Amino acid sequence: MDVDYHALLPEFILAGTILLVLVVDVFLPERTKWFAMPLGLVGVVASLVAVATLIGAGTRVSFGGTYVVDEFALLFKGFFLVTAVVVLSVSLRYFREGGFYQGEYYFLLLTSFLGCVMMPSSRDLLLLFIALELVSAPGFLMAAFRKGDVKSNEAGVKFFIIGVLSTAVMLFGMSLIYGVTGGETQLAEIASALADVPGELQTLTYAAILFVVVGFAFKVSAFPFQFWAPDTYEGSPVPVAAFLAVASAVAGFAGLLQLMFVAFAEQHEFWVPIFAFLSVATMSVGNFVALRQTQMVRLLAYSGIAQSGYILMTFALVTDDAASNRTAFAAGVAYILIYGIMNLGAFAATVAVSRRHPALLIADFAGLRETAPVIAVGMAVFMISLAGVPPTGGFWGKLLIFQAAIERGGGLGPALAVVMLVNSVVSVFYYLLVPRQMFLREAADRSRLRVPALVTVVVGAATIALVGIFVLPNPVARLAEISSLVGLGP
Amino acid sequence: MNVLAAEGEVAFKATTNGIWFVEHAWIVVLLPLVSAALILFLGSRTPGKGAVYGITAVGAAFVFSIGGLWHFVEGGGPFEGSIDWFTIGPLHLELGVLVDGLTAVMLVVVTAVSLAVHVYSLGYMHGDERFTWFYVVLSLFTAAMLTVVVSNNLIQLLVGWEVMGICSYLLIGHWWEVKENSDAAIKAFITTRVGDVPFMFGIIALIAVTGFTTTNIGEVSHELGLGEVSPLFVSVAALLLFGGTVGKSAQFPLHVWLPDAMAGPTPVSALIHAATMVAAGVYLIGRLFEVFLLADEWVLTVVSIVAAITALGAALLAIVQDDIKRVLAYSTLSQLAYMVAGLSLGELGLTAGFFHLFTHAFFKALLFLCAGSVIHAVHSNNMSEMGGLRKYMPITFWTMLIGSLALAGIIPLAGFWSKDELLVVAHEEHATWLFVVFLVTAVITAFYTMRMVMLTFFGEYEGEAHPHESPKTMTGPLIALAAATIGVGLLGAPQLNAVFGKWVFFEEIHEAVFVPWIAGLSTAGALLGLAAGYVLYRERKARDPLQAPMGPAWNLLQNRYYIDEFYMRAIVRPVRDTWSAGVNWFNQVVLDGIVDGAAVVTRWVAQLVAWFDRTVIDGAVNGAGEVAGRTGNALRYLQSGNVQWYAVGLFVGVIALAVVFIRVV
Amino acid sequence: MTWENSAITIATLLPVVGAIVIALMPKSREREIRGMGIVVSGAALAIAIAIAIGFDYGTDGLQYELDLDWIGAIGVRYHVGIDGISLPLYVLTFLLTFLCAIYTWRFVPDPGRTRGFLALMLLLETGMAGTFIAFDLILFFVFWELVLVPMYFLIAIWGSANREYASIKFFLYTLFGSIFMLLGFLAMYFQGPDPHTFDMVALRDFGAGGGFSQTFQLVVFGAVALGFAVKVPMWPFHTWLPDAHTEAPTIGSVLLAGIMLKMGTYGFIRIAIPFLPYGAEKYAPWIGALAAIAIVYAALACLAQKDLKRLIAFSSVGHMGFVMLGIATLTEIGIQAAIFGMVAHGVITGMLFFCVGSIYDRYHTREIARIGGGMMQTMPKLGGVFAFVAIASLGLPGLAGFWGEIMALLSSFSPSEVFLADRVGLFRLYMVMGGIGTVLTAGYFLWMLQRVNMGALPDQWRQAGLRDVLAVEWVSWLPLLALILVLGLYPRLVFGVTDDAVGGLMRLLGS
Repeated sequence: MDVDYHALLPEFILAGTILLVLVVDVFLPERTKWFAMPLGLVGVVASLVAVATLIGAGTRVSFGGTYVVDEFALLFKGFFLVTAVVVLSVSLRYFREGGFYQGEYYFLLLTSFLGCVMMPSSRDLLLLFIALELVSAPGFLMAAFRKGDVKSNEAGVKFFIIGVLSTAVMLFGMSLIYGVTGGETQLAEIASALADVPGELQTLTYAAILFVVVGFAFKVSAFPFQFWAPDTYEGSPVPVAAFLAVASAVAGFAGLLQLMFVAFAEQHEFWVPIFAFLSVATMSVGNFVALRQTQMVRLLAYSGIAQSGYILMTFALVTDDAASNRTAFAAGVAYILIYGIMNLGAFAATVAVSRRHPALLIADFAGLRETAPVIAVGMAVFMISLAGVPPTGGFWGKLLIFQAAIERGGGLGPALAVVMLVNSVVSVFYYLLVPRQMFLREAADRSRLRVPALVTVVVGAATIALVGIFVLPNPVARLAEISSLVGLGP
Repeated sequence: MNVLAAEGEVAFKATTNGIWFVEHAWIVVLLPLVSAALILFLGSRTPGKGAVYGITAVGAAFVFSIGGLWHFVEGGGPFEGSIDWFTIGPLHLELGVLVDGLTAVMLVVVTAVSLAVHVYSLGYMHGDERFTWFYVVLSLFTAAMLTVVVSNNLIQLLVGWEVMGICSYLLIGHWWEVKENSDAAIKAFITTRVGDVPFMFGIIALIAVTGFTTTNIGEVSHELGLGEVSPLFVSVAALLLFGGTVGKSAQFPLHVWLPDAMAGPTPVSALIHAATMVAAGVYLIGRLFEVFLLADEWVLTVVSIVAAITALGAALLAIVQDDIKRVLAYSTLSQLAYMVAGLSLGELGLTAGFFHLFTHAFFKALLFLCAGSVIHAVHSNNMSEMGGLRKYMPITFWTMLIGSLALAGIIPLAGFWSKDELLVVAHEEHATWLFVVFLVTAVITAFYTMRMVMLTFFGEYEGEAHPHESPKTMTGPLIALAAATIGVGLLGAPQLNAVFGKWVFFEEIHEAVFVPWIAGLSTAGALLGLAAGYVLYRERKARDPLQAPMGPAWNLLQNRYYIDEFYMRAIVRPVRDTWSAGVNWFNQVVLDGIVDGAAVVTRWVAQLVAWFDRTVIDGAVNGAGEVAGRTGNALRYLQSGNVQWYAVGLFVGVIALAVVFIRVV
Repeated sequence: MTWENSAITIATLLPVVGAIVIALMPKSREREIRGMGIVVSGAALAIAIAIAIGFDYGTDGLQYELDLDWIGAIGVRYHVGIDGISLPLYVLTFLLTFLCAIYTWRFVPDPGRTRGFLALMLLLETGMAGTFIAFDLILFFVFWELVLVPMYFLIAIWGSANREYASIKFFLYTLFGSIFMLLGFLAMYFQGPDPHTFDMVALRDFGAGGGFSQTFQLVVFGAVALGFAVKVPMWPFHTWLPDAHTEAPTIGSVLLAGIMLKMGTYGFIRIAIPFLPYGAEKYAPWIGALAAIAIVYAALACLAQKDLKRLIAFSSVGHMGFVMLGIATLTEIGIQAAIFGMVAHGVITGMLFFCVGSIYDRYHTREIARIGGGMMQTMPKLGGVFAFVAIASLGLPGLAGFWGEIMALLSSFSPSEVFLADRVGLFRLYMVMGGIGTVLTAGYFLWMLQRVNMGALPDQWRQAGLRDVLAVEWVSWLPLLALILVLGLYPRLVFGVTDDAVGGLMRLLGS
């Protein structure tokens, strides 16, 4: 059994931190429970450093090819750890003032992130399953963390039940795969095994793939499995919502990318239509329902659903042509990264507002330009970026997907592009609602809003990042390119 | 390049004393332009409010023009010079002057009348609150008119042409506080523009003939001369160009603006709406005569018909006017028609027509200025409020009498010679019907002229104001113009071997001939008209003696044949009120409706999708939420039976996808 | 980095820097903020003028060219340059923005917030200027979209009563159009020369040489043209314009009419026609038809307007109709006429919106009926300027408005022999419609003047203490007033610049 400890270092550090937080929490007096956060933060940063040391160290394989650390994995690990830093930063005051069980919270959060970090390296059905559960299980609890709040309970339970059921379906699918491939669990092996599946098992194979996809469809809240997201987001503590919307969803995509591009690449004729349907339906439902939202977190939830739809589109662009697949893959990855930044920013800004307006109606953002200028400008940038309009990074995200769609050509590509275009025009309408509130309306209470320093830092950083990406999108595009899984399969 | 003598059989003197003025004709144009700028920027700060610049400049221009004419008096030839203006693709545009006899004569006419008016206005516009502005536009107009006259290319001509138009607009509306005046101004500009559009198309057509390489009139004429262009094309082009004439020279059916234009200050009427701008239309035909001659017969026939209608129709209208300026306005229409008709007679007609333009400019300007002097005295335009003025203002009376007799065509005054020549040409060209029209119109002209004189100067004074002779600044120009009126006619007198014809001619000089019986006939006609006028208006009556006998015809004339009303009802109101409203409705309701409709549809879709999302997919879940909400205890919810719903929702989704995509049933 | 290859970049990006600086200045330093606005836009203008002076007018090639890798991953380059087609519009952009900055020294629309106002204005300037120098399709698109956000906020925050509707309508409508344009660009990228490129010079040479298949051209020209058409705006895609103009603050309208609309027409000349000549050939008659309709339609609509600003806005639709008519002829004269028309319209209509802005500042209404005439009595100078500009706008020869119109009509008398030989009759019909349009145009402008300038002064304004043109207004207006006259008398100022470039373009298209 070959184990590359250096390659696993990030996971080890994170795991260690988790245990430490758990233990320390026991001994901390109530007042200083918040201390778990800086502790966790240190751990996350440490593991981030560990990731950094692995850059350029080539592809590292452990456990007989079931656990791989390549550019793809590193990129996503880095992404998740940065996300962790952000979520931790915006959590601190929120949970101190909210009177939550802070220790447990940080423990759970970090555990989820451990799952995230494992996800992009897991090239084995079982590992993928474990990683996914590691992400989800703590999520169920965190979603219900505002114990006093009925909505929060509802959110948790709902999320829990959906999660469990979807997992069941996925697991069913996986077992079928196991069967038809004659006991293969490694993605690469599965790919080769599926290549010569006897004809009578074809249908079964397809069913299996479908079930697995469904399992992930829940994670990324794709239609028709998206309904839990708005309620859960709304019910959960805002930082948790941020985690769910970014980390958890992206983890889902990370897994999906590996499955589709490594294990099931050969069967794309079968699943491309599925993804085409999923993406169109998802982005349309997300955008159109978002038009009618009045509550900020719900708006972000539906916007997130729509964004998932855009990302799902890149799966629907897969063909036999490796070159265009690479473009599609890169576009998807790049979009995921940019999406992460703008969504985290948006949630951070929401956290800032939530301190004065717990209800978090969109109307509560009125006059923010006066009460919290930095947050307001940042939020405007995030919204414009989510809408995909210059001068923001979101513009490139959309452009890359368009380009991939046109390159794929052949009817479907352009058709999907047009659908996405119409969708993004529609989306502009509700994204602009927020800046309108912030800049055109006056706040009822025009006193300065006290924003936690960390939150301001996060918002500022995200803003600069998005504008920076607009000016110099090259790095993102490159990262997306080099971290390609295309062709790794047989 | 020499236009009017393209295949010049005529031998010209190489050098003359006037040559310098001809070669520097551009200065004539520049002078009033500069003065306009000076008055605009310095005028209000200059003692006398800046009129001095204008008078000096135009005076100088007049001297230059005389110098230029001298060149031709000595038998010099045409001159053309130009500088590059700009190039656009293949098309090369220039700024240039073309001075031939025709130009030289026009220069003299324009500068002379303009000078007279500039001086006259000192008195007439004295104390006007926009005195300085008035002089600005007056000078600018003069510059524009001179530009038209000297232009050697079509575009430059068009520029001057339109600038004249806007000046006319500004001056008609000079007293814009009164709505009637601004209405008249707009009417004048729009009506002439209706004619200018075809004119513009005609110019474009001519430029097209050269393959969009040049706008030079000479080269255009040359191209046409090669006869490679289809006659039809030329004919259409000529007709389009004639549109410009119809507009500017107020020929039927675009004549309606000129009478209203009398709303402007009288000096303006004299300069722009009698002597110069309205004559530009005639000048245009002369300048582009080649085109008209190369066109099919019918074009010139159309021209002559239009002219005939205008000549006769306008003359009749002049009979029933009470406003002295309107009498003169309609008389102008009819006299302009004379000129146009003359040109429609071909090469001989050109000389005759322009000779009439030449003489008419002087005596009509004189008449207007006299009218102005009268109005100045009695503060009214209506002859019914005048009468017996010869006692109060002798100079005005005598000068006006000279002008009137000239208009009536009494030997040896200017009008006689030019009209006579037109009649002769009509006879020589065997255009009998035109000959008759000329003659009849002459009779009517004499009649309404006499009527005007009688009503104004004879009988008893009817008005309230205390009439008085006008100041020197006004009477001076009157006397000068009166002198001219007596003199200029002789330039075309065959007995004095008609020198005018040696300046203005087409390709070859034609000796003007004196046909005694024609001269006799026209004189007889004139006298008849005068006599009739005298008899009828010898003593004043409350109602016009003609009103009763003419009956309905009188009303017809009073209402200008209902043409204005027709335009108002059939064109102006529909376009301005109805159509525009319709378009606006279409824009707001239909086009914008579609746009807003898209938004509405989007909202509907959103509603639909949201409903679907909430009820169909999430219904069960919500139910669960309710339960949980009511109890506030999440665990109860596990027994609350909704789990099955979840399972159902979930598996339905999965099965649906399976059925669709794997086609398992 | 030499002056030669960095000048236009500096001029274009300087405003952004200025915007950032202004945004960081303390709110209390009102005067300094406004001063900074003038300084920055002034500096940018100075550079632009220096560029124009250093420009070689004897060639049709790209100058001040700079071609850097930007996003290697997707073949997007930072390729900028300037030629005779761009230069007039480029300089005009800086001039108008500078004058707007001066105007802002005195007039900051409610609700104040000068910092944001000027910052957005400068950001807008960069977007507009960049569009005219971009020679990479994606770069072009980026600048193109860059104007949306600032203009949206300018209208939405500083606009008048109905601003929210107008601003969102503007944003969505133009975004909708431009997004199809983007699809067209991407399509050209993949169908274009190998290796794929967004480079506009390469694609132009490729397309002009008939590189794209005919069906492809028909489809893509449609997509691209839609984006441009909405921006121009061509009838019937114009309905966002009157609302946007009516609600926008004065300088918003000035820049919108002065520059932004030209981005669309520029796109036709720079991209649609040379890249897709066959598509152009097939679409030209339709474009010409829409243009001719626009001319008459807009004129009639103007006659019905009761709001002064809305009237001017509709007149823009008509004037842009003449521009599009010139382009539709696909002739050298027509396209030069179009460029001249763009510049002239920018100067004249920009100036008209300045006038309307100042009129509103005095009367606090834009309703013609409420103004009620007699402005020449209370404010002879303002009235005079207004009349002068209005007369220029109705296309009086000798003023700027004339050349674009006459040359457009001239070119439509005989459209391109190469592409439209069998469409001569049709285009002559358009010419006639254009002629009718000029009459109606004269009609509504003179009628407007009669109702605003002339007539007796209503009593309620006698004691209103209306102040005639102020010093700051003179400063920001005189350049435009002078240009109106100079361009009219010396059109070589523009034609001299465009002649070679357009000639080169035509040679490329084989005519």
